[in-house]
Amino acid sequence: MIKNQNIVLVINDIAISTTINDKLGVFYNINSFKKISNALDSIYNSLPDLIITDFSSDATEISKIISEVKKDPIFGQIPFLVIVEEDYIFCDDNWLIIDDYIRKHDVDKEIQNVVKLCLFRAERVFETNPLSRLPGNITIEKKIQNMIDKGEKFAVAYTDLDYFKPYNDKYGFSRGDQVLRMLGRLVLNFVRQWQPHDSFVGHIGGDDFVFIVSIDIAEKLSQEIIDTFSKIVLTFYDDEDKKKKCIDSVDREGMKKKYPIMGLSIGIAHNQIRNFTHYGEVAELASEMKKYAKLSGGNCYKIDMRKI
Amino acid sequence: MIDTKNLRSQIEKIDTLPTIPSTLRKLLSVIEDPKVSLSDIGSFISNDPVLTSRVIKVVNSPIYGFPGRISSVNQALILLGLNVVKGMLLGVSVFEAMKKTMEGLWEHSIGCAVTSKIIGTKKGLADIEELSVAGILHDIGKVAMGLKFLDEYKGLIKKAIDKNVLLIDLEKELFFVTHSETGAWIGQRWNFPKSLIEIIEYHHKPQLSKNYAIQTAVVHLADILVRAKGFGFAGDYLIPTINPIAWQRVGLSKDELKEVIAEMEDSLAESGEFNLEDD
Repeated sequence: MIKNQNIVLVINDIAISTTINDKLGVFYNINSFKKISNALDSIYNSLPDLIITDFSSDATEISKIISEVKKDPIFGQIPFLVIVEEDYIFCDDNWLIIDDYIRKHDVDKEIQNVVKLCLFRAERVFETNPLSRLPGNITIEKKIQNMIDKGEKFAVAYTDLDYFKPYNDKYGFSRGDQVLRMLGRLVLNFVRQWQPHDSFVGHIGGDDFVFIVSIDIAEKLSQEIIDTFSKIVLTFYDDEDKKKKCIDSVDREGMKKKYPIMGLSIGIAHNQIRNFTHYGEVAELASEMKKYAKLSGGNCYKIDMRKI
Repeated sequence: MIDTKNLRSQIEKIDTLPTIPSTLRKLLSVIEDPKVSLSDIGSFISNDPVLTSRVIKVVNSPIYGFPGRISSVNQALILLGLNVVKGMLLGVSVFEAMKKTMEGLWEHSIGCAVTSKIIGTKKGLADIEELSVAGILHDIGKVAMGLKFLDEYKGLIKKAIDKNVLLIDLEKELFFVTHSETGAWIGQRWNFPKSLIEIIEYHHKPQLSKNYAIQTAVVHLADILVRAKGFGFAGDYLIPTINPIAWQRVGLSKDELKEVIAEMEDSLAESGEFNLEDD
């Protein structure tokens, strides 16, 4: 049979490890480790479908590392199954990272079912943009409406790539998707670095990303994202185009034309000088600012400054 | 004698390379510092060939969705993010068995990175950071061979010193291939950008590099200059001759060469302090 799902197993107890390998080895590819720190390389390099660990060795250490791993949205969806002693008592923090558990004496009997359940459940909860794994429209809308309802002050930024279409036309969709994934990582990591808490990054679709941060950092952060993007994006062009600093592609009328290297335009809406009552107003204002940034030649941000 | 096919599959099985003990000690203090920033981690990683290879490997893995694109440590860190980078560094292991040789190799690699950067800047090349990464990774094949064939490789180094010959010639005698090829295998296996793979593969035969001829020539020259300066230890005490085609491609004038050597002395003194402080 074809094994196309990967499980990372971190179990110190050899008996348990052997039982699990016996029960699951036929159905899944299993990578076994004794210590969680040794498994990380495999997790970050292979994106397993499930992680199984043993809480009887060092529950605190394991929890700490798994919750770090799960902070990254790519790895956040990996279900996490723990094996516990008969008398283990769970604390509230456990439930934040654990997706299911089995007590030691049930392993032999239950492991196959529980693993199957974990894997199916993980597939069902997938509600993010498949390209970037970032939350999509519904979550974005809820998040913004929520902040409006709570009366919080915030800035919402919409991104848009300049000259993405000619790039896609010349290099093809798959190369275009690479650029979008890069942009998603770039935005996510800069937002997290500047504002680790109460910030948000979502992916509407295509080259439209959204981030929410506090008003005082929105402009500087946008500028840094724009600057870094224009440095990194060069490596997504072939050497010849990189040298020329432009590409030959065709416009909407099918005419040959030269296009510059991609840049990033960002539009920022915020509620410092005006109040929002509905998500739609925020989206409209931010898109307007984004168009304004594009009209100004792109590779820049524009923030709403108009008096009411 | 080890046949090439078997050797290649052995080398390709390597998922992760070990570092040297002094790096690991410093690494732990870096990871545990809650205030550590990406740029602190970046300069730390750039000074270690194994950590650099790890970061370049992970960012170019298909998971992130842009394989073979990123050849700069700083860009890699931005795209991976602090959580992933920290987690990835936690799994680094140590290479006690070849401590002496490997520590010398670390210095040699850092020296080559620094010198490649100096020459590249002097000649106004684009992508200086990529050159520096290529410099630090150029001998990564030696780490891989030392890891998989410890006793044989130790033996080769001893023989190279005793007979005063080049390690690369002994590698070829025993393995049929050299650390240039094994390094390139690893680079291919780990989805490194084509530029890095080509420079690693041809740093001893720079005339064969087609797409990155100047960059390969720069690393070739830097490698030899660092050996000539006696900085670090690359596995033997001989200094290979500079390839005339590479020399022409780089096109350093006599005065420029003097300036390069003077700048090397300053920078190497600095990086020497960095690497040796707790030995």
